[in-house]
Amino acid sequence: MDALADESMFAWVGERIKRQDSASVFLLAPLAAFELVFFVVPFLILVRMSFNTQPETGFYESGWTLAAYGEILASNLYHQIILFSFKLGVIATVVAVLLGLFYAYAAYRAEGLTKSILLFSVILPLLTTLVVKTYAWRPLLAPNGVLNDLLLSLGLVDGRIQFAPSLFGTVVGQVYIVFPYAVLAIYSVLSTLDWDVVEAARDLGASRPRSFFEVVLPEVLPGVAVATVVSFAWSVGAYAAPSQLGTGEQTTFAMEIGNLMLTNFNWPVGAAFALLMLAAMLAATLAVIRLLTGSVGGVQDV
Amino acid sequence: MSEADIPRERVEDALFRAGYWLVFAVLMLPIVVVFVTSFQQSSYLTFPPSGYTLEWYAQFFGSEEWLGAVRDSLAIGVGASLLATVLGVTGSLAVQRSDSRVAKLLPPVVLLPLLIPPVVLGLTLLIYFNRVGLTNSYVNIVVAHTLWATPLVFFIMQSVFARFDWNLRDAGMDLGARPSRVFYHVILPNVRSGVVIAAVVAFIVSLQEFIMALFLKSFEVKTVPVLAWTSLQSSLSPMVSVVSAFLVLTSILGVLLSAAVMNLEWLAEQL
Repeated sequence: MDALADESMFAWVGERIKRQDSASVFLLAPLAAFELVFFVVPFLILVRMSFNTQPETGFYESGWTLAAYGEILASNLYHQIILFSFKLGVIATVVAVLLGLFYAYAAYRAEGLTKSILLFSVILPLLTTLVVKTYAWRPLLAPNGVLNDLLLSLGLVDGRIQFAPSLFGTVVGQVYIVFPYAVLAIYSVLSTLDWDVVEAARDLGASRPRSFFEVVLPEVLPGVAVATVVSFAWSVGAYAAPSQLGTGEQTTFAMEIGNLMLTNFNWPVGAAFALLMLAAMLAATLAVIRLLTGSVGGVQDV
Repeated sequence: MSEADIPRERVEDALFRAGYWLVFAVLMLPIVVVFVTSFQQSSYLTFPPSGYTLEWYAQFFGSEEWLGAVRDSLAIGVGASLLATVLGVTGSLAVQRSDSRVAKLLPPVVLLPLLIPPVVLGLTLLIYFNRVGLTNSYVNIVVAHTLWATPLVFFIMQSVFARFDWNLRDAGMDLGARPSRVFYHVILPNVRSGVVIAAVVAFIVSLQEFIMALFLKSFEVKTVPVLAWTSLQSSLSPMVSVVSAFLVLTSILGVLLSAAVMNLEWLAEQL
């Protein structure tokens, strides 16, 4: 809201009306007002809430203290939860982005019906509720589930393995959730790539892997960066997948916030925890963007 | 390219195809599980089922609790879709035609709610609605879902408006039509399919969202995914597959509708 702060809003509106640009002010106003009232202001109130304390009864008691932050930073349990959230974020992001790059490339190279089927197969899970995306894995990954039956009949394992609930199940579920976003972020950049350029590189003697790594990959790097940021933000904040497919060891900060807010009614600590994690995620995301855009020249403004 | 490279390329091609069809199969697997298990006989979810029955569908249509959740979901979905479409279309139009500072600041702010974990957004809104005394769960969940759906509408419309020939609008203005008439008679007919798709996407996003709805639910107001989630905490019943089958079917219909109006490739580039 800086734009409004250093220039009176009324002066700004008056200026627009003088320039007969009133239509764009009226068009802009509803969305700007909605974002201000239901997004910007709620976050300011969240920050205020994190300085309150928890009373014996009720959700919070007004105050100005850092007690909630101190409680989180001093707790070993919270350290483990934070560590696991980031671990899940990194694993799920790496798997989703690598697989997503492959699948987006396949969709880009495919034609006609195959292309439509491949795109449909990512859009459909994208538009399906998290509830479905996670619980449907349970009968597949359970000790008496389909994957175990398959591995046993192929003779690849001796006994039944508990794929879910476990870390493995959590990662599968979380990758399944973010995979469509990763594919589409990469595909939307890839679809603007002219295949003739790759053909030219091959005609000049580049091998197929070399043409992929030296021609295709640098082109899609902005898409890969977006896929990484989205997958990472959502996987660190994972809620549904670890609840459905993990054990108590796979507790993420989002699940703990759910407990704090809906079961323990400790709002100040819930608010402080959310803000701490947002700050940590922002720092990590900026570092990742720097890494992805800094290591390969020529990609700016992702 | 030597002679020996040709068979190797064939092997590579075959592996490439096998690779993406395998990923395709894994992507579709949970959706198959949902449909198949909604017809299963035993009361604990197993795949593949041992017997088949329509009993769970009968129970669903006889359950006041589930039908109430369907009504809540539809009401909230329609509300969020209308609000997000109005805000997204007008906002996008304004940003296209204006280079003021607010217009430059708005797109990133609008996009931000999509990048924040839904749990954090849910907790923020829970605290906010409590502080300002807004206790109507319908309104609260509509607002939460609008925060999520608006960026999708906004960016779909950005790309729709980018393809619109603004000279047509200027011609309308030059002929003396008021801006509102120009919008209705000149701009809207050209972008109508884009608006329809944006509204459909917004509706589906609201229908499927469950984390914010879980934070903002009340005893009277629970959406379908929220009720499915809470019932999963007690037992893994095929009833969840019945409601999930309906949710997935709505998404399939929405995607097919969008694909018929525009095309799938275009949709894939927007989302």
